[in-house]
Formats: sequence, C-alpha cells, structure tokens
Amino acid sequence: MADHLDEPGLSPPGGDPSIDITDVYAFKKSGQDKSILVMAVNPLTLAPTFNHRALYQLEVDTNGDARADIAFNITFSRPHSEQRVKVRRATGDDARENEVEGGTIITGRTNTIVTRGAYKLFAGRRSDAFFFDLAWFLAGLPLPHTTVADFFAMANVDAIVLEVPNSALGENPNIGIWGRTLLPEDDDDDDDDDGDDHGDDHDDDFAQIERMGRPAINTVFMAGARKRQFNRSKPHNDAAEFTGDVVGVLTTLGGALGGASYDAATAATIAGILLPDILTYNYTSAGGFLNGRRLDDDVIDIELGLVTNGARTTDGVGAHGDLLANFPFLGPPH
Amino acid sequence: MEKMNRRKFLTLVGVGSGAVAAGAMLSGPGLFGGPSGGTSSGTFSFRAVTGLPGGALPSYASYVVEGNVNVAARSGIVARSVYAGYPGAMTTIALPGFTQVARVTDVREAEGGFEITGVIDDASQLRPGEDPVVKVQLDRSRGLARTRFLGRDVGLKIHA
Repeated sequence: MADHLDEPGLSPPGGDPSIDITDVYAFKKSGQDKSILVMAVNPLTLAPTFNHRALYQLEVDTNGDARADIAFNITFSRPHSEQRVKVRRATGDDARENEVEGGTIITGRTNTIVTRGAYKLFAGRRSDAFFFDLAWFLAGLPLPHTTVADFFAMANVDAIVLEVPNSALGENPNIGIWGRTLLPEDDDDDDDDDGDDHGDDHDDDFAQIERMGRPAINTVFMAGARKRQFNRSKPHNDAAEFTGDVVGVLTTLGGALGGASYDAATAATIAGILLPDILTYNYTSAGGFLNGRRLDDDVIDIELGLVTNGARTTDGVGAHGDLLANFPFLGPPH
Repeated sequence: MEKMNRRKFLTLVGVGSGAVAAGAMLSGPGLFGGPSGGTSSGTFSFRAVTGLPGGALPSYASYVVEGNVNVAARSGIVARSVYAGYPGAMTTIALPGFTQVARVTDVREAEGGFEITGVIDDASQLRPGEDPVVKVQLDRSRGLARTRFLGRDVGLKIHA
C-alpha cells in the first residue's frame, strides 16, 4: 500500500485498478547520464490491461514550484492480444495540460522492450517491487512483531518503465517527479480505435483521477473522503490543503503506539517535508530515497521511523530477490 | 431465511482459490442473503464491520465478520475477511491471505446476544502460531461485535 488501492473506486463507475498508481520510482542508471522512471499501476493485477482510454503521466518539476514543467505522456491502444504504447514528451504549459500533448519520443508494444535513440521503454506486467508487512499495519503496528510477512511477495503490477537521458529532465538536476492518471471527461467509450494507431486516439480533455509522488502519503495520512480529494488535487496546493491531515496523524500516532507523539510545531515542520507529495530527485546522484527512489529502497522503514517518531522503525521485511540488474529492472511476473 | 450450505458459502468467499476479488458482494445484504436479526427456526445471520487499522491511523481497509448460525443445533459458519476500502467506501476486493472460514462448534446466549465459538479447519488460512479457535461475541443490544484480528481484540459494528 505504497499507494495501492489508496482510494477504492478510483473512477466512476465501479472503480478502475488499471489507473490506480501503486508506486513511482526514479533512479540514476549506473554509470550513465540517464535516469530510470517507473510508474506502476494495477495493484494485485485486478485489471487485465492498461486502460486504453486513460492518460498515464509522469510529471517533472524542474524549478521547485511543484508544478509540472516536463511531462511524459503515455497512452495505450485498445487491448487485443497486446497493446500499443506511445510516449510523448511535453514541456512548459503543455506539461500542465490535462491533454495528450507533446512530441512522440518512443513507441512500442506491451511486454516488449523497445529502444529509440537515448530512450528505452517497457510497459507491461511485472513483479511488484514494493515490500511491506501489510497485516502488521492493519493490526495497528503491534509489538512484539512476531509474524513478519511480506504481503506483496507474490504480487504483480502493470509497470511503465522509461529510460531517459538526463537532458530530457531539464538542465537543473534537482527535480521533482510524480505520477498522474487521467480519464476523459467525456465518459463515452465511442472511439474507433482499432489498436493499430499506437494509441493516437486520445484527443479528449482529461480529468485527473489519481496521483502519487512519495509512497504511503495518501494511504497513511488521508482519511475517508480526503483520500479522493487528495488524488484529485495538484501538488502545488498540498501545503495549503493537506497539512492539517498530516499534522493530525503525526501529533497522535507516536503516543497511540506507546511512544511520544510530535508536538504541533514539529509535526508541521515534518508535514512541510512530506508535502507536496513529490519525489525529489537529483539526477546526478545515485543515492536512494529521499533522493529519488530505487526499487530496493526500504521506504517503509524510512517513513515508519519518521511518522511514528521512532515508536516503530521497521516492518521487518526487505527488498524482493527478483529484481533485475538490467532494464526493465522489475522482476518477471509471478 | 434460506440456509446456505458450506460448499456454496466457500465458493462465494473464494476460499481456496487464492483469488483477490473473491466476489463477495458485501455492499448489499451480505453473504447470507438477509439482514442480521431474526432467529426464526433458531437460525440467525449477522454481519459486522470495522475499519483497519483504525486508532490514530486512518482506516485503509474493512474487516468484515459475518456468519450464519443455528442456535439450537450449535452449528453454522463464521467468515472473517479484509476488504480494500474503509467502511463507507468498502469494495468487493478481498485482500488475499486474510479470509478465514470457521465451522461453528458452539453457540451460547450471553448478555445482549450470543457468544459463538468455531474452529478453522483449513490450516492454510492460519498464520504461524495462530489459534484455529475463533470466538465472536455479539452484543446485539448495543450493536457491537468482538473478535480477534491477528491476535488483537477488535470491536466491530453490527450492520443490519
């Protein structure tokens, strides 16, 4: 539950796991002036494919204002035996539009690695790299923690893995990254997409359904209907709209777990670190979370200690052993 | 109320399939096809829900305990499952590995309701060291139920 199933019923009607973002990763490719960007969706692979009507978007903030300056817009064709996928890169105002903007940088088919110039793409089913003892969390993080189990050990996701030259991420190496999924505002599925158009039939105006930067922000800090409000909002509004939610948890959780909760001032300071919900990343550094996020970074342990004020420091599970040394890095599906 | 045999019940909750979407349509009347309550013919059904983890953390999922119990025969079935979504926005997505089905072995009247005892026969549904004996206390006068979740006592709200 980095962001898995963070808002049941992500889109009307009936919910759509194919646009439910589970995780976003960003890390430096070893020995090269390139970065790997990953957006995983479809928790527990409840949906059969990517949504051919959706816009999957990796947003990049290059100047620290929590607004997108570069967007990688990913679309899919209607599923047959496979889906065609197209990645466009938009900049400036186009990056902030709820539309499929930008020039095409790479195209391909699902479950196939493709290379075009300095770009490389994989979109398809993979092993979920996220690891967490979900049962322990659901039980309220009790101690002693005797029955350690990784809920996601055998889980799959649908992942979009994009290798990009760092020059495509802007001149300033200190950037922020988050993922969005959007659906057409017009709910009619009346396009004539025959699957042979590389996902070109996406000329609608879209509405944001889901977003995620860092893991477990929505799932841990937002309660009830706030989860949906968070998903529909933009990072540059996070501080104004959601600081209270984060502070509310931080000022009670440590005490509830037998430790000490943060005072309000400290909680507000930490909320200022956690929000906006953007994955900060210096693309010249191979350091992991909070500098970007590598597939094996133990983000839960890092966040547990922070969120609980040290009352809990580990969930006891570690990275999966099926990660690959090379592109697409995520392990094969189970 | 129509009685449901064990085979049909197990099919409904997806036990043994490992399926994520167990298909248990909990947003409606519940697995047992009717509201909690009536003890006609000595049989009653119940359904109780609470959010997990709760407490200081916002609920992420819903813990659902439901059953169909024959008081006179001291028999029936109790099922415990975890569904994605907090109470009020609960989905039909049963999180894998959390569904347990217990065969009722005893039913006793208690203050305000009943105390139900059962046993989980399928060891694959148990976590290491987990007691296969299931106890559910139903205080129908207050609309509350109590059972355990991963070794912790949990209070649930009985839904009519």
